[in-house]
This record gives sequence, C-alpha cells and structure tokens, in this order.
Amino acid sequence: MSETPLASVDLSRSPMPTTKTLNYRKNLFLQFFRFVAFDLRIMRMVLKGHR
Amino acid sequence: MAQIVVLGAGVSGHTAALHLKRLIGGKHTVTVVSPNSQWNWIPSNIWVGVGEMEKKDVIFPLAPVYKRKGIDFRQAKGVAIRPYGDADSPQGAVDIEYTDPAKAGATERLRYDYLINATGPKLRFEATPGLGPDGHTVSVCTADHAVEAAHKLDGVIAKLKAGTPQTLVIGTGHGTCTCEGAAFEYVFNVDHELRQAGVRDLARVVYLTNEAALGDFGVDGMVFDQQGFQTTSELWTGSLFRERGVEAILGTHVFQIDEGVIHYESLDGSKNTLNFDFAMLIPPFGGHPFTAYDRQGAEITADLFAPSGFMKVDADYTAKPYEEWKAEDWPSTYLVPGFDNIFAVGIAFAPPHQISKPRKTPNGTVIAPSPPRTGMPSGVMGKAAALTIAARLKHGAATPAHTASMAKMGAACVASAGTGLTKGSAAAMTMLPVVPDYSRFPTGRDSRETQGELGLHGHWVKLMLHYLFIYKAKALPGWQLIPE
Repeated sequence: MSETPLASVDLSRSPMPTTKTLNYRKNLFLQFFRFVAFDLRIMRMVLKGHR
Repeated sequence: MAQIVVLGAGVSGHTAALHLKRLIGGKHTVTVVSPNSQWNWIPSNIWVGVGEMEKKDVIFPLAPVYKRKGIDFRQAKGVAIRPYGDADSPQGAVDIEYTDPAKAGATERLRYDYLINATGPKLRFEATPGLGPDGHTVSVCTADHAVEAAHKLDGVIAKLKAGTPQTLVIGTGHGTCTCEGAAFEYVFNVDHELRQAGVRDLARVVYLTNEAALGDFGVDGMVFDQQGFQTTSELWTGSLFRERGVEAILGTHVFQIDEGVIHYESLDGSKNTLNFDFAMLIPPFGGHPFTAYDRQGAEITADLFAPSGFMKVDADYTAKPYEEWKAEDWPSTYLVPGFDNIFAVGIAFAPPHQISKPRKTPNGTVIAPSPPRTGMPSGVMGKAAALTIAARLKHGAATPAHTASMAKMGAACVASAGTGLTKGSAAAMTMLPVVPDYSRFPTGRDSRETQGELGLHGHWVKLMLHYLFIYKAKALPGWQLIPE
C-alpha cells in the first residue's frame, strides 16, 4: 500500500476567481440583490416543479 | 373513522403528519411513531459540527407540537409490518417497540387504514470497520454526533495554534454513500473555521469522496448556463477547491479505518492509505430494519423491501445498464406495489437505481454514490402521500393518487461554505428535475432552472431556510404557506 494519496485531483486548471469576483461575492449591497433573485428562483421552481 | 399511521418524524413523515391533520384530522386519527423525542433540522448540523450553533438551535421536542395539533405521538420504533393483518383481524397493522423511557421495551400492535413509512436512514457505520463515533471518525448525521465533531475540531485547532501541523479528512466513509453535499459543506465550513482561527497554513484539508468527479453530488453533476456558455458543476466546484486550497481525492471506497489511518480503494483498483488527525466521514445509509409478515405469520419481508432495507414502491426495478436508465423508472405515487394504502417516502423508498453512473474497480468493488432523496424532495413526497390519503378518505379509495416524481420536481441545494452574516458564503444551487430527463432536456435538466452561484447571499439563504423550516416544523401560524 502506498503511504500518501496517489490520486489528488489536479486543480491547477480550475478557474481561479478574480479579485473582482471575490469582492462581488462579499459585497453586501450586491449580494442583497442576489439573495432576492435566488429566493424568487426557488419560488419559481417550486411553482413549476412541485405541481 | 380511519386510522393513519406515520412511521418516522423526519422531514418527510412530519410533513405528511401535519398536512394529514390539517386536511382530514377532524374526522380521522393520525398517529406518528418515531424513536426520537426531538425533531432535528439536519442541514444545520453542519454548523453545530463546527461550533457555530448549539444543539438546542437545531432541535425541538416533538411531543408538545403533536399535542397542540391533536396528533397521537408514540415515541417508539416500528419493528414489523403486517399488511394483511393477523389472526385477529384482516386490517393492516404495525408492531412497535417503545423507546420512550417511561415505557422502554414495551410493545404494541397498531392497526391502520393507511400507513406511511417515512423512517429515514439507518446509519450503517458498521459497513466500514472503524468508521463513526464508536470508531475513529466523527459524524454530523445527528445533532449529538455534530456536538462531538465540534469538540474534536476544537482540539485540532488548539494543536494547530500550538504549532503542530494537522491533517483533516472529510468525505464519505464507503463507496456507496449518499449525502456528499453534507461532506462538501462540512469541509468548507472547517476550512472557514481554520481561517477564522488563523491556523489554516498549518492544516492539510482533504476531501475524500466516492464521487467520480467534483460537483457530482450523487446527481451526476449539473450543467449550468452562465454568461452565454454551458459550464459544469465540476468546473465550478473545482474552482472553489482551488481557491480554498482543499485537496480532493475522488472515486474512493473506504474499506477500513484504524487509529489515524484511512484505508481506501480507488477506481483504478489501487489500495492506499491516508493518515489523519481529524476525520468526518459520512456513513452509508440503509433502510430501517423491518420484518413483514402475512396474515398467517409467514415472513414476506423480501416482497415489500429491497435487500438494502428500503421499501419497494411504484418504481421500475428491472435491472438494466446505466445507458438504459430513464426518468420514468422513478416512482411517482410512492405506493407499495399490491397495496393501495401503504406509502414509502423520503429516504425510506427504494430508488430504482443510482443517478450518478455506478462504477467498479478492477477488483470488483462497487463505487457508486447513492441518490440523495432528502430535504425538499422528501417534504414534497410526504405531502403528496398526505394529499392522496386525504383525497381517498374524502372521495373514495378509487381516487387517483397525487404524484411527486423526482424526475419532475426540482430541488434547491444550499451548501454552506462558511458562516457569518458578513463573512459567510455558500454554494447556492437549484436543479430541475432532480433526476435528469434526457428525453426532455439535452443536458438532462431545465437550463433556466438549473443554476449555481457562490457568495454571501447563499449563506443568508441557508440561514433563512434554517429559521423558516424550524418555524414550519413547529406548526406555528401559517406553517402550511411555507413550501416544502
């Protein structure tokens, strides 16, 4: 048996978020609108998929 | 007056019981049988497991809610189902054994006109030697497990603060586990806690999973439409792993755990070890162990239950290769074949097959994430069973059953990646349908409704759902207006 993992995923080609993206994800004002948009999306999906 | 017995008081059973009482409770009796005295909002166990919430924040006692709503509650576990009745009566019955400390061990036979099996999972830690709180790893599957996990995580953080490097492994403890989403959440919450404590640099954090690809989540991954391009949940989650510096080892079957050492087999058949100081590994799930009998007392368990212990329902259980799986294979009414008065909902029903492609190693070891059927789909199934029973009691037994196929309904999955009203984040995903339907959608799912985004707002959504669903489960005024 080998001692350490052989098959860790190579993440070097996974996209790194830019500083702009990271800031967007933390921005209270902009994230409030995403919060509202996501809630509306859940409700639309509930209405569409739970009939 | 009809007797309706609900086995289990998790998301599915509790939802069914509350709706039944609301719809037909004035004329009929609803009895809930659950071995647990507390209701647990399991998605928030993640936060208990990192010490950001207390146990009392995610549980509440069931008895006062049922007393207020006029629902008969027995703190007991179901042990046998007699769908044809017994020598005394042809009416169906379930045998229960009390876990209520006041009556512990006493048994009783409950007659039913309608039965809903919503017993949830049996946590099969025994499937992997050394797995679980009685072995060498922790769990967040129950509130008590999560408390223990938080305590041990505190110890790890203390060692890191003292300058001792630590390896933390989080993931699945067997090749056939489900609930990879919970492991995903926990790994990023742990990462977040380590950063908050200022000790992330000394910690190696590893996500060890049975998924063949990142972002699979047991639902074969997702394809998102984003900014004019199709992207995948694999690419999207890979980005998060890279950003947070979390290692990922995919396609694994953990077959043994010793003190500080995980032994696992990979999809290529190689057998490897991984040393750890702290490990939270999800156990595989099985069905609640029931025995079923016919009227003469002969055992008929195999007629009602799959070998996994999950109950057979109106699914197509014909064995067929992955390429021939169809959305129509999945159940819609959750009625047990041959019985128009027995339902199995939530985790209790036997899925016809996995959603993710099952794989085998060259040694023949099955590595196949089991399909998730918790949360939103569980609640919808429980409500559908309640609506069917209510309609049949009002309009006759021939009334068509309500349907809630996972191949038609959607689900929201909000995977926390760290807590805090201003510093938290979560991967917020929606998918429609849960089971891909390639006959309706080229990517298997409705691309308008299948989306994922990361950010602080995801944490707010998860926190909102925490309070909303606990409010709903307490059956406080207007509870029925909150969707499942």
